[in-house]
Amino acid sequence: MSRQASGLRAWALQRISAVYLGLYLIYMLGHLSFNAPESYEAWRAYVADPGVTFGMLLFATALLIHAWVGIRDVLIDYVHPIMARVGLLSLFAIGFIGCGLWFAKVVFLAGVAA
Amino acid sequence: MTLARRRFDALIIGAGGAGLNAALQLANANLRVAVVSKVFPTRSHTVAAQGGVNAALANVFEDNWHWHMFDTVKGSDYLGDQDAIEFMCREAIPTVYELEHNGVPFSRLDNGKIYQRAFGGQSQNFGGAQAARTCAAADRTGHAILHTLYQQNIRARTHFFDEYFGVELIRDEDGAILGALTLEIETGEPLLIEAKTTLLATGGGGQVFRTTSNAHINTGDGMAMALRAGVPLMDMEFFQFHPTGIAGRGMLITEGVRGEGGYLINKDGERFMERYAPTAKDLASRDVVSRAIVTEVKEGRGCGPNADHVLLKVDHLGEDIIAKRLPGIRESSKIFAGVDPAVEPIPVFPTAHYMMGGIPTDRLGQVVIPAADGSEQIVPGLYAAGECACVSVHGANRLGGNSLLDILVFGRAAGQQIINNLKDNPEHRPMSEAAIDQAVARLTRWEQSGEGISVRELRDEFRKVMEDHAGVFRTDEIMAEGVEKVKALREKLKDVRLGDQSKVFNTARIEALELENLIDIGMAIVLSALERKESRGAHSRPDYTERDDVNWLKHSVYFKEGDRLDYKPVQTKPLTVETFPPKPRVY
Amino acid sequence: MKFFVYRYNPDVDTAPHMQEYDVEVTRGMMLRDALMEIKRQDEAFAFRHSCGEGVCGSDAVNVNGANLLGCTTPVSELKEPVNVRPLPGRPVIRDLVVDMSQFYQQYRAVKPYLIHKDALPEQEILQSPEDRDKLDGLYECIMCGCCSTACPSFWWNPDKFHGPQALLQAWRFLADSRDQATEERLDALEGPYKLFRCHTIMNCVESCPKSLNPTKAIGKIKELMLRHSI
Repeated sequence: MSRQASGLRAWALQRISAVYLGLYLIYMLGHLSFNAPESYEAWRAYVADPGVTFGMLLFATALLIHAWVGIRDVLIDYVHPIMARVGLLSLFAIGFIGCGLWFAKVVFLAGVAA
Repeated sequence: MTLARRRFDALIIGAGGAGLNAALQLANANLRVAVVSKVFPTRSHTVAAQGGVNAALANVFEDNWHWHMFDTVKGSDYLGDQDAIEFMCREAIPTVYELEHNGVPFSRLDNGKIYQRAFGGQSQNFGGAQAARTCAAADRTGHAILHTLYQQNIRARTHFFDEYFGVELIRDEDGAILGALTLEIETGEPLLIEAKTTLLATGGGGQVFRTTSNAHINTGDGMAMALRAGVPLMDMEFFQFHPTGIAGRGMLITEGVRGEGGYLINKDGERFMERYAPTAKDLASRDVVSRAIVTEVKEGRGCGPNADHVLLKVDHLGEDIIAKRLPGIRESSKIFAGVDPAVEPIPVFPTAHYMMGGIPTDRLGQVVIPAADGSEQIVPGLYAAGECACVSVHGANRLGGNSLLDILVFGRAAGQQIINNLKDNPEHRPMSEAAIDQAVARLTRWEQSGEGISVRELRDEFRKVMEDHAGVFRTDEIMAEGVEKVKALREKLKDVRLGDQSKVFNTARIEALELENLIDIGMAIVLSALERKESRGAHSRPDYTERDDVNWLKHSVYFKEGDRLDYKPVQTKPLTVETFPPKPRVY
Repeated sequence: MKFFVYRYNPDVDTAPHMQEYDVEVTRGMMLRDALMEIKRQDEAFAFRHSCGEGVCGSDAVNVNGANLLGCTTPVSELKEPVNVRPLPGRPVIRDLVVDMSQFYQQYRAVKPYLIHKDALPEQEILQSPEDRDKLDGLYECIMCGCCSTACPSFWWNPDKFHGPQALLQAWRFLADSRDQATEERLDALEGPYKLFRCHTIMNCVESCPKSLNPTKAIGKIKELMLRHSI
């Protein structure tokens, strides 16, 4: 988190990720309404499609970036003792990275099994 | 008690346009300058100036400084000093350009130049067609200028003492001024500021009157400090009543409204200024318009249920012009008069507005004690600029747009002169303990507790007396009574006690000190007015209706010691051009 | 009309309290007139005020939870009882008088003055009426502090976040066609704090007595920053 870059870049990333999240959610909602996979197998096949895999991974990345900027904002606003802030930031960072890796694993495994 | 002390090259008391423009010159010259202000600088009353600042830039019509000079001399009813007026009108042009370079957001013409509007008393070619000489930032010119000057002082790293009250000047046996005793309002602790030069830029004292366009802070502190330091006040009888204050409240509606095409009507809907000033009509000089309004009301042609005001009609200008050129007065009218000028006319009545008189200075801002023979004795180390000073450029009546000009030109000139003066006087003069004790006594006096009259009570009574006895129309009888009443109130001041003796942000103590100042300058006003037996400019007497150039073409000079009045001839010789000899003043 | 006014005098009080006053309402009475009437009743009551017409910005206070200017608020528009408190989030000096030094410091921090680097012309620097119009809604700020002290982000980080007032002024100079320090100004606003603590809560817009819009100005700064960084 370079002091110079974290203002505008964070703000811009939050907005760009929000746009992707919004568009993806609309797409997903449409897909599930009109063309929902009907079985577990169908789900796996759907996720294994390289396009879908990429889209989902991008979704997870965008979600995590968006959440990270948001959480960082909340902590900067409300948590002032520096050690507590660093501790909480680290906790969220580790948690978010963990979530990301877990999500990637799920998506890739779906591909492997298919 | 050990008194905290600070030392500076220059001390400026007051952070309005004059103080800040002087400070800027000094800080730009890398001198150590302290600006003491009893309010945060952008709260100074310059912020309330609406219409604009005069300079013959000729952006709209043909114009030159000589025409501007003629209008100012005529507007002053020939009491202004023509050398100072020439200086001001010449300097106006570079001063406005400098302001623009400093960032003032002036309104603009299509060609990108500064917008200039028509104002009262302005003419082309020595009394010819209406001129447009007033440079404006919408109707918030004072605000725009004050904020810009404060901003430039931030850049120049001027040292500000915000919310410090100037208590008393310190002087040595030779009469030289060595600095001032101040009071930090937040802590209630005194602070002695030693300075090689001291500039008073404390503004006017409109609070002497009950109904005024002036802010609560305009209590003539600098003028009263000067009086107590043995410096006289000049031409104090000339107090301008602005024709268009919001009726019953006093807030100002700028002359710019009439400059943009607004006009006054009485209860019959008659545009009555056509009778009083056939040529200039609503843009006649302020004293003329004020008297016309008061006459209309006196003769029963006033508007409203009490027939106590007239109306200022603006709606015919159309929504566009009002929104673009007069947004501030539209806002004020809605809030304080409950009318939208785009729909209804604004109820107006004259309101106490501006002091033409003040601390006598030369055109470099140096305070001088005038003698009857016309010679002047400089008070070493003391300068004054702005409304508290009397150069005199406004004489018996100030033209609209010339007050911002006055504070800026002479604030700047004083700054420059201080820079020059400091080269010759690089050392602080020694300050005696006795001189300091005398100043401190002014504070300790208010530590007496016990039963007594309250500050409020005396203040209310005093302001009423001033309004009744030194208002728009003045007769011998009314004013003589006024003098006696003010003298009695001045005696009563000794019995005033402060109930609140706490230290931290004690505004009651500040108001007590201000009351002393108000009464000192009130006395100067009523006495000077009583003695001037003629009608000239803002000083209008039903018992002496004519201007008397044989006996009264001279400045009144009031000394506090013994309530003494003296007179000094008007400087009728300009710097480079021919004298404008007195003529009947018709608009 | 009943007023409950926040009172605290550090010379005598150990804790602040709300004091009740009864003020007779006259026609056209503004809140400032009511406060002056209260001072008439009680000399020891302290509050700042000056011009009485909404241009000096001295008498900003918090009334029934909203920041406003005393001199431009008719008491007839207020709900009784009227609770008058000092501006929120600032240290109280006495009664309604608060310490605004941090607010002023943030203002100074945005270099609120015109920076023109080219040689100056003999006359005015030209500016088209259209360019001048861009300053409307920006230069009119009276620094009363209603906006910044209503801003939660300023409450949390008054030492690091410039706050709506200072940012409005930052934009006033960025928007001025005569100013030539755009890059420096934008660089100075970078980082997570000075500008980007604004979460478009818009309390500033709600509370500005001059109807200015700091949130919009902040949005324009971000937009300009983005344009200059891509």
